[in-house]
Order: sequence, then C-alpha cells, then structure tokens
Amino acid sequence: MAREPRTSETKLSHTAALILQALDAGFVYGFSIMEMTGLPSGTVYPAMRRLERDELIRSQWEKQSIADAEQRPARKYYRLTAAGKATLEASRRRYPLLERLIPNEEARTV
Amino acid sequence: MRLSFKWKLGQWRFDPLRFGPWTWSQWKWEPAKRLVYFGLLRCASLLVPGDRRAEWSREWRGELWHVRQACAPAGCSGWKGELEVTQFCLGAFQDALCLRRAGGQPGQAPASVEGTARQCILILVAILAASDGIALLLPGVRAELSLWPRKVNPNLVLIQSQGSNYNSLPSIYPGQFRSWKARKQKYFDGFAFYRVKQESIELGPAAGARQGRYGWNVAHSSSNLFTLLGLPVRFSETDDSTGGDLPEVILGEASWKRQFGADPRIAGLVMHLGTRTVRIAGVVPDGSLGLPGRVDAWLLEPDAVMGSGAPGYVIAHLTAMGQAEMWAPCVGITANGPDEAEDDLLGVSLEEWRPAPGTLYGFALFLALLALPAITSVSLGETSVNPQKTSWSVRLLRWSFLSAKIALLLPIVYFVSLDLAYGFTRFGREQAVYIQLISTFLMSLFGLRWVLKDQRQRCPVCMRLVAHPAHVGQASRTFLDWNGTEMMCMGGHTLLHVPSLPTSWFSSQRWLYLDTSWGFLFAEPTRPVL
Repeated sequence: MAREPRTSETKLSHTAALILQALDAGFVYGFSIMEMTGLPSGTVYPAMRRLERDELIRSQWEKQSIADAEQRPARKYYRLTAAGKATLEASRRRYPLLERLIPNEEARTV
Repeated sequence: MRLSFKWKLGQWRFDPLRFGPWTWSQWKWEPAKRLVYFGLLRCASLLVPGDRRAEWSREWRGELWHVRQACAPAGCSGWKGELEVTQFCLGAFQDALCLRRAGGQPGQAPASVEGTARQCILILVAILAASDGIALLLPGVRAELSLWPRKVNPNLVLIQSQGSNYNSLPSIYPGQFRSWKARKQKYFDGFAFYRVKQESIELGPAAGARQGRYGWNVAHSSSNLFTLLGLPVRFSETDDSTGGDLPEVILGEASWKRQFGADPRIAGLVMHLGTRTVRIAGVVPDGSLGLPGRVDAWLLEPDAVMGSGAPGYVIAHLTAMGQAEMWAPCVGITANGPDEAEDDLLGVSLEEWRPAPGTLYGFALFLALLALPAITSVSLGETSVNPQKTSWSVRLLRWSFLSAKIALLLPIVYFVSLDLAYGFTRFGREQAVYIQLISTFLMSLFGLRWVLKDQRQRCPVCMRLVAHPAHVGQASRTFLDWNGTEMMCMGGHTLLHVPSLPTSWFSSQRWLYLDTSWGFLFAEPTRPVL
C-alpha cells in the first residue's frame, strides 16, 4: 500500500527542513548538501531517504553520457516535489532563519 | 613522475577511482585506500535489502568519487582528507540501516531468538567449545592431561637416617645403598638411589630458541629408579638410532614446561650436562612423586658410577613381610651397613593421596551438590493450576532442556578449572590442585544455581524466559497481603508470580496459564521454541 504523502502542514525536523532548503537553493546531490549544511553523511542520506519516501523530494539519475563526457561517475540528483515545496514554505514559517542560512542565490550550477 | 589513466568508453566497466591523474607516491597507496573505502561501502551494502542494494551502491560509489575530489584531490596526500573520506564512508552504515528499517515487512521479520531455549543452548555450546579449545591450546593443560597416570607403585618407602627427622635431607651414602642391594633382604626386594647436584646444562643450536646455558638441579639416579617407582617415561623415543650410546637424562615436568614450552617432540635432543654430553630420553611428571629434593632432570647411571661421594636418598620396595611390618606411615628400621655396624633408619611410606584432575573434579562437584540447597531452592517451581494440562511431549522437552544445560555445564566447569589451574606455568602442581578444587567447587555451585534459577523462569509451555518483571505490593509494609514480582511469557502462555516473602499460603512461585483470549496481545508464536 502506497504511503500517504505529507501535507504542507506536516512538521519537519530542523534537519529535514535544512535539506529541503538546500535542495531548493540548488544543492541537488548528497555531497553538495553535506557541504552546504555541514551535516555528516550519516545524517543527510538517511534524511533524504525519508523525504523521498514521504514524496517530498524525488530522485533522478543523470544521463550516463554526461558523466562519461566529464570522466566521472553519474550522480543521483534530487529535486523538490510540489508537496515538498509546500512543506518547505510551511517550514520557513516555522524556522524563519532557514532562508538566511541557505539563501537561494548560493545555488550552484549543476 | 605522474601517471594518468585514460578510460576508454565502451571497453572498460566504469570504475570511479581510476579517474584523475595521481603522482606515484599517491598511486602506491591507492590500492590500500581503495580497499578500505570500497570495503566499508561493501560491508554497509550488506545491510541494505537485496532489491535496493545495487542502486544504493551505485549512488554511494558515485558520491565517494566527488568526496575524494573535494577532500583528497590529486596532488594532496594529507591524512586529514583521507580521514574525512573515511568518515563519509562510515555514514553509509547509518544510511543502510535506515533503508533496512524502512524496507522490512512486518510479516518477514525473523523470529526473535532472545530468551529462547535454543539461544541458551547455543551460548553454552559456544562457551564449551571455547574452554575446550583453550585447554587444547595451553601447553600446561595438555601436559597435565597427557602425563597420567601419576601415582607411584604401592608399597614404596623412602629410607633415610633417623637423625634426619623427616627434614628430607639426603642421609644415605652410596656405599650403604650398594651393601643393602648386594645382600638378600627379607623386607625389601628392590632398591634405587639418587642424589641431587646443582649443575649447568647447555642446550646447543638444535634446541633453536631455547639455546643457552642454565643452572639445574640434576638427580643422579640408579637406572632402575623409574621402573621401581612404576612411572612411565612419556614422549620417549621409539627409535634408538640417534645418540643411543649417550647417557640418558629424563626431564622433570616443571623444567620441561619452563625450558622447552611443553614440547612433546623433546626426546632425542642432545645437550651438555656439566662436561658430559647427554640425550633427553623423555619426561616424567613431578610433584606427585612425593620424593624429597627439587629435581629438574634425572640422569640415569649404573650403580657402579655412583662412587662414594655425597649422600643421597634411597627408595625401596617392600616385600609382603615388609608390608606387614609397615604399620604406620613412618617406621624405624635397623640395617647393617658395609662395615656391619647397625644403623638406625626411618622408612617413610611414599604412598600419598595425589588426586588426578578427574578425581578432584568429581570430589568438588560432589561438595557443590551438597552445598547447593544452602544457596538456592532445588525445586523447579512447577507448582501451578493448569486447566489446559501441559502435554507430555512439552514436559519431556522441558526435562530434556534441563538435562542438556547440566550436561553442557559440567564439561565447561571441568575445562575452565583445568585452564585456570594448569594454564599458568608459574603455579606448581601443589597450588594447581587447590586452584582446580576451589574453582571447580565454585563454578559447579553457582553454575547449578543458575541452571535451576533459569529453569524456574522459563515458561512451561514455550521454554522462553519470562520478561517484564512488575513488582506488586510492598513486602515490608503489607506483610499479610500478597506481594512479589509478576513476570510474563512473551509468547502469551503464562504469568509467573514469585512471592517476595514466602508465606504458608504462598510459599513458592506459581504459574498462571493464560487462555487463548490473551493471544491478541502477543505477536510471538505460541508453539514451543527450542
């Protein structure tokens, strides 16, 4: 049975809110989120699994040809879903400093 | 020098860590680092459910490449960066565990073995295997088990001068010994002589790491000494082709353990004893002989070689007539010496109770069984009202489980006591006997107490340990009311009531059997688990 997606009223932990904010700011793969938030890998990746399970974020492998051209392994990119965006908005209201911690203009080009 | 590795599309399978130019100094460490990082990720991946493992590994390996680029880029060889990469890899375990928890289905969860009879038996088997393995590995224990029998022949006496008054000083001269041996005796039919001298021994290159010079107490003894004592010489050579014409020396057990690490292939080794070259012919147990004088090795010599020097000790074997006269452990003897003068001597019996490890073990176990009721109730606490009458097969299983626990406990106690008593070569045999006796007694006593207590706290239906104790009442205040502890079987079969203060109406623990209506509270299976 599919799990019920979270609604915008869902209360997130600070860590999960931080990760959503980082994703929204353009840090779209695990290591970049780690670098931005300062959270360890043992926190970031499990949190992203839970967010993906709750359908707040969605993952997608980049095309192998791009990775081959850059002589590196393919990355798994994450992006916010509509529910994730709504939840992030709610979280921003709950954690007003969130946006200041990771402003959107810091986004990287990937 | 820089090495670069190019990746040919379509020819090689992609390997993230092959990328990037590295210096030679980096490259030589690369295999070890790869082994560590990939090993960590591989271990973590084993925690991930099988259907998600491949994708999980791909993502973490891809991320690892980026992490290495950022933390330990080409040209940098700092360990700080490598530490960060390692920490990153360790995070994979938390991620894997998270996936495992999320991926597990309630129906597929493995049945818990905690507190089951099977778990108990497995733990006991593991302890038994460990204690037995340690006993086989420790040279002292191996030697103790291999050197039996230790008891000397019966009807042996140590003859010494009456003036020595049991002080074990050598008092018989070789001349006296030879004259007694030459004459026909009424009370004795065999004599052997030995005297102890401090001598240096030198082990040659054939002894390997044991090569060197040592000071030993060497007993120069009659060649028939061990035949008279009835002690087998262990590890003796069957092939006399090597050094057969050399004088033979027999090592004492303590020096064999100390100097040769209890090596069973000791026979045939040639060494220098004073100015002579001798050959090791075997090992004899010491400590149990009851012979005076601390001896490291026995040099067997013909009686004629003994000369007329320093005094020593004489061992004699009693005839039937002699045995009849030996009415006490120590009797006076009058003997004619070489000059026909009468000497007043003492005959001290060598028969002494020297228990074997098995005898000691049995004795200590017997004492423990006697003492057991003093420290715990020997009842199995089966008193209960059972409306559903436990089947005979379950009862048989319960008794089999109790028997299995005892059957495993007893050899564990035996091997652990041997490990403690004989595993340390610094203990003499006399001390080892006491250590074995005390350790066997204590381990048997408390081990059996545990067996009974464990049995009392196992559900009569499924034999799982009851859990979640709840204290009811206050024993100090409500003396006349029921007070005690209630525990429940996690399979939902029973509740156990244990009174805090036994009274005339509630003196021992009781089982309350729960009917099937309680089943919905418990997820565990209701059949016996063994």
